[in-house]
Amino acid sequence: MTQTIIWTIAILTILGAALAVVLFVVAKKFHVEEDPRIDEVEKVLPGANCGGCGQAGCRAFAQHCVASSPNLDSCFCPVGGNEGMQKVAAVLGVEVAVKEPQVAVVRCNGTCENRPRTNEYGGYQSCRVKAALYSGDTACSFGCLGCGDCVAVCQFGAITMDPATGLPVVDEEKCTACGACVKACPKGVIELRNKGRRNMRVYVSCVNKDKGAAARKACKAACIGCSKCAKVCPFEAITVENNLAYIDYTKCRLCKKCVAECPTGAIHTVNFPVIPPKPAAQTPKPEAAPAPAEPVKKEE
Amino acid sequence: MDKILVSPSPHLHTKTSTKSLMRDVVIALLPAVVVSVLCYGWSELLVLGVSVASCILLEYLITKYLLKKLCTVCDWSAAVTGILLALNLPASTPWWVVFIGAVVAVGVAKMTFGGLGQNLFNPALVGRVFLLISFPTYMTDWAKPNGFIGNFDAFTGATPLGIAKEGGVAAIESMDYMDMLFCNIGGSAGELSALALIAGFIYLLVRRVIRPYITLSILATVAVFSGIFWAINPAEYTDPLFNLLTGGLLLGSIFMATDYVTSPMSNMGGVVFGIGIGVITMLIRYFGAYPEGVSFAILIMNSVVPLLNKWFHAKKYGRA
Amino acid sequence: MMKTFSIGGIHPSDSKISKDCKIEVLPVPSKVFISVAQHLGAPATPIVKAGDQVKVGQVIAEPAGFISAYVHSSVSGTVKSVGPRKDLAGNNMTHIEIDVEGDEWAEGIDLTDTLVTAIPEDNKEILEKIKLNGVVGLGGATFPAHVKLCPPPGKKADCLILNGAECEPYLTSDYRIMLERSKEIVVGAAIMKQVLGGCPAVIGIEENKPEAIKAMTAAVAELQKTAKGYDGISVMTLKKKYPQGGEKQLIDAVMKRQVKSMGLPIDVGAVVQNVATSLAVYEAVQKNMPLITNVMTITGDCLPMENQHNYKFRIGMPLSYIAEYAGGVPEAAAKIVSGGPMMGKAIANLDATTVKGSSSLLYLTAEQTVRGVESACIRCGKCAEACPMGLEPFLLQKYARNNMFDELEDNAVQDCIECGCCLYSCPANIPLLDIIRLAKGDVIKIIRTRK
Repeated sequence: MTQTIIWTIAILTILGAALAVVLFVVAKKFHVEEDPRIDEVEKVLPGANCGGCGQAGCRAFAQHCVASSPNLDSCFCPVGGNEGMQKVAAVLGVEVAVKEPQVAVVRCNGTCENRPRTNEYGGYQSCRVKAALYSGDTACSFGCLGCGDCVAVCQFGAITMDPATGLPVVDEEKCTACGACVKACPKGVIELRNKGRRNMRVYVSCVNKDKGAAARKACKAACIGCSKCAKVCPFEAITVENNLAYIDYTKCRLCKKCVAECPTGAIHTVNFPVIPPKPAAQTPKPEAAPAPAEPVKKEE
Repeated sequence: MDKILVSPSPHLHTKTSTKSLMRDVVIALLPAVVVSVLCYGWSELLVLGVSVASCILLEYLITKYLLKKLCTVCDWSAAVTGILLALNLPASTPWWVVFIGAVVAVGVAKMTFGGLGQNLFNPALVGRVFLLISFPTYMTDWAKPNGFIGNFDAFTGATPLGIAKEGGVAAIESMDYMDMLFCNIGGSAGELSALALIAGFIYLLVRRVIRPYITLSILATVAVFSGIFWAINPAEYTDPLFNLLTGGLLLGSIFMATDYVTSPMSNMGGVVFGIGIGVITMLIRYFGAYPEGVSFAILIMNSVVPLLNKWFHAKKYGRA
Repeated sequence: MMKTFSIGGIHPSDSKISKDCKIEVLPVPSKVFISVAQHLGAPATPIVKAGDQVKVGQVIAEPAGFISAYVHSSVSGTVKSVGPRKDLAGNNMTHIEIDVEGDEWAEGIDLTDTLVTAIPEDNKEILEKIKLNGVVGLGGATFPAHVKLCPPPGKKADCLILNGAECEPYLTSDYRIMLERSKEIVVGAAIMKQVLGGCPAVIGIEENKPEAIKAMTAAVAELQKTAKGYDGISVMTLKKKYPQGGEKQLIDAVMKRQVKSMGLPIDVGAVVQNVATSLAVYEAVQKNMPLITNVMTITGDCLPMENQHNYKFRIGMPLSYIAEYAGGVPEAAAKIVSGGPMMGKAIANLDATTVKGSSSLLYLTAEQTVRGVESACIRCGKCAEACPMGLEPFLLQKYARNNMFDELEDNAVQDCIECGCCLYSCPANIPLLDIIRLAKGDVIKIIRTRK
């Protein structure tokens, strides 16, 4: 009996010691030299491992930051925001530019009503597969394909498909402007735009580059490239290229003149008060009830 | 159709579906089912009924209320599990034991892994082995067949393998292989008639439901393994033909080892898988505590399948 | 024993309903739209502008790169516009719109039916003619023919394989030309064989076309008796198995050689051309006729027998015009496919026009073509069994869904030939090829950038 116990203890002790030696040798032999700053950067990161920065996780992002230091332009942690990036910059002892808060914007008006379906798609429900196959199930070969690749790729649950319109809707609260949806969209419909003053934004909700007639035939609310908005804009924020208007968010002063001018209602405004108070609406004439401005979408 | 359909190629599809494949397995099992009902009568019918009904019901309830995904009952896979479980049990098994077996088979072995296509182990076998360990008395109570046909005068109340385990080779000398081919031996419902099972095997092959590699590899391994031992010492070890025809070997190798989900994908993997099952089966039969080892062998090899899938791939075009 | 490829393959019903319909010539419509992208590679550059007068067979667009091809006018008349128009898939592509006036042919084109059996001796001249007449491969990929007929330095062709397999169900255009233009095809083969340095030529035909085998064998025998330069051409009967006509599969079947991953057929000494390409080569070299016509099949189970056709069309004809001429789109058609049902393209826009490689208007019913609801993979391995490249589609789709590109490359996704066998045979209706096709593109891009 005693002997059994002694034997047991002895064998286990020897085994333990032997394995400890093995562990020690392995740890020494396979030790990886790493920049100690990676650990430090990782410490100041949120640790959500969300991938919102475009890297595989917080550690990968920390490695990326250290590797690209001192220029941190390609590094932005959407969860930590500017504050978080300041901390990262402090750890690395470099400067980082403050980024304007941005949000993903879906630039397509192609609701089932505006843009009638011309055929039926019967393949795998993926925008990429659909885009590789053909122009889509409407006459517009530029707009949203509606299979929800952006929804699938969003790490933050900030995009949902609206079953009524068949278009994705971005939840501003949840969107961190990581840009995953922008990359995922094969049609380039989604764009990151500055959140703007009091979250108010004006943008052309269309990416159709067809000529006016073709674009309008495909979708009632398409940008037809008529340039009326560009002419009326007092700040030269609007350019029209390839039959498509684009509003530069850095130049737009939210006057909304273009919105009233657009014949198809392709220009959207968000987060403007429903009845514009005087200082916000810089339009002199009381166009407070803009008849064509139906697309004033109120996104809470 | 008002709007034309557009989709990536190919534009044609086979008529074979998961449902039709599973239905074919059920059809292939019918001869064995008919034989078992004819031999064991009403009690076997009860076991079959309870097993199939509870498997289907459990699958329905779990997919609908627990997993909340598309209901897979209509694809016949639960029915296959139910029939296989019933064929693996003695006809005298009480209905509540059968039900517990179904709960383990469908609820534990299949659904906890995520349902159809996800399970690592063959559900019916998990159910059977669970019952074998939990209720050994019921599971080895080989009642005398009391069915509609058959001549059971020679019936001994134990399976041939059990007899061999107890009494050695001498005890089975009086047995006739013709009895094994038909239905004059004791055992669980699915072990009765080798002929009925082989008929099912041929049907599955003709309908291209399964490939023959796994089954043949198991049978060949068992034959070779027992052949070697039998050649060395025929007094100690049972002969190959006896080993091929008795017990759950045919049922297991034709219907359970070939289960799509729990068997290797490549032909080569299947052969290795079969060799493993054959060797383990014979080790248990010759040297183990249980008279029969097919169930254990298949379950053990099931756990190796992911590795086999990793090691053995199909031959690729243009790559040596 | 009949030859076939060694790995995988499927046996869909061949449904050659229109096989006994003789080739009819389609009348020219009042207007054609000729695409500048009728071949693999860079779209051609238009050299005509609105208002120009053109004749049949006149060059209207020039190649824009090494892998590109000439495009000729298929009608005579006035160019109305050069601009974007929606193609088969609904995407914009430059088309040349021509208002048809009369039928005046460009000079130098031999319009007679006489068979010219004497082959020009100068290979350079032959290749130049093939190139100038815009001949592209008509087996589906529309790869410029002259490029394929000039093996890169250091490589030699051991065998010219003529693809008469027509393994796609429904299609009968190759079958018809093998019956009606057998001698021309053999002359085309002899020309290509000579260009390639006199290697033997094998015409591979599937067993389900016994009459074509008979006609081609007779044509070869007769030409060998009556003319020079026709030795070493033979007809080989192949088993009926899809995708027998796949380039790599055909090489395996005929030569028992396999092209290495990411390699070209010429690496194993093979050049594969379709029988229709051979006919186009004949026309180009012996008749100086540019590639402006081809034969297409109008078929489908839902089409009454009298509306089944094999048409000789000119490029640039709107598909809707052809469909209308052939008796209209049947009520039961849920999908219209250009090309075979396995690898053809579903037509999103019937206003698109015919191109050099157009081979069919195939009407499929909803029952035939609507995919079932996707269900769980039961790991039956039917996709792997069917894959003619020996890949494991069930595995590839799993990796692809998770963007595991290293694993995809290790499992040879780049070797996929997109034949559709996997998706065809999947009992769980998993969109295997849809997913794998994308992953293949991604992986090939990764491999290219690495190089």
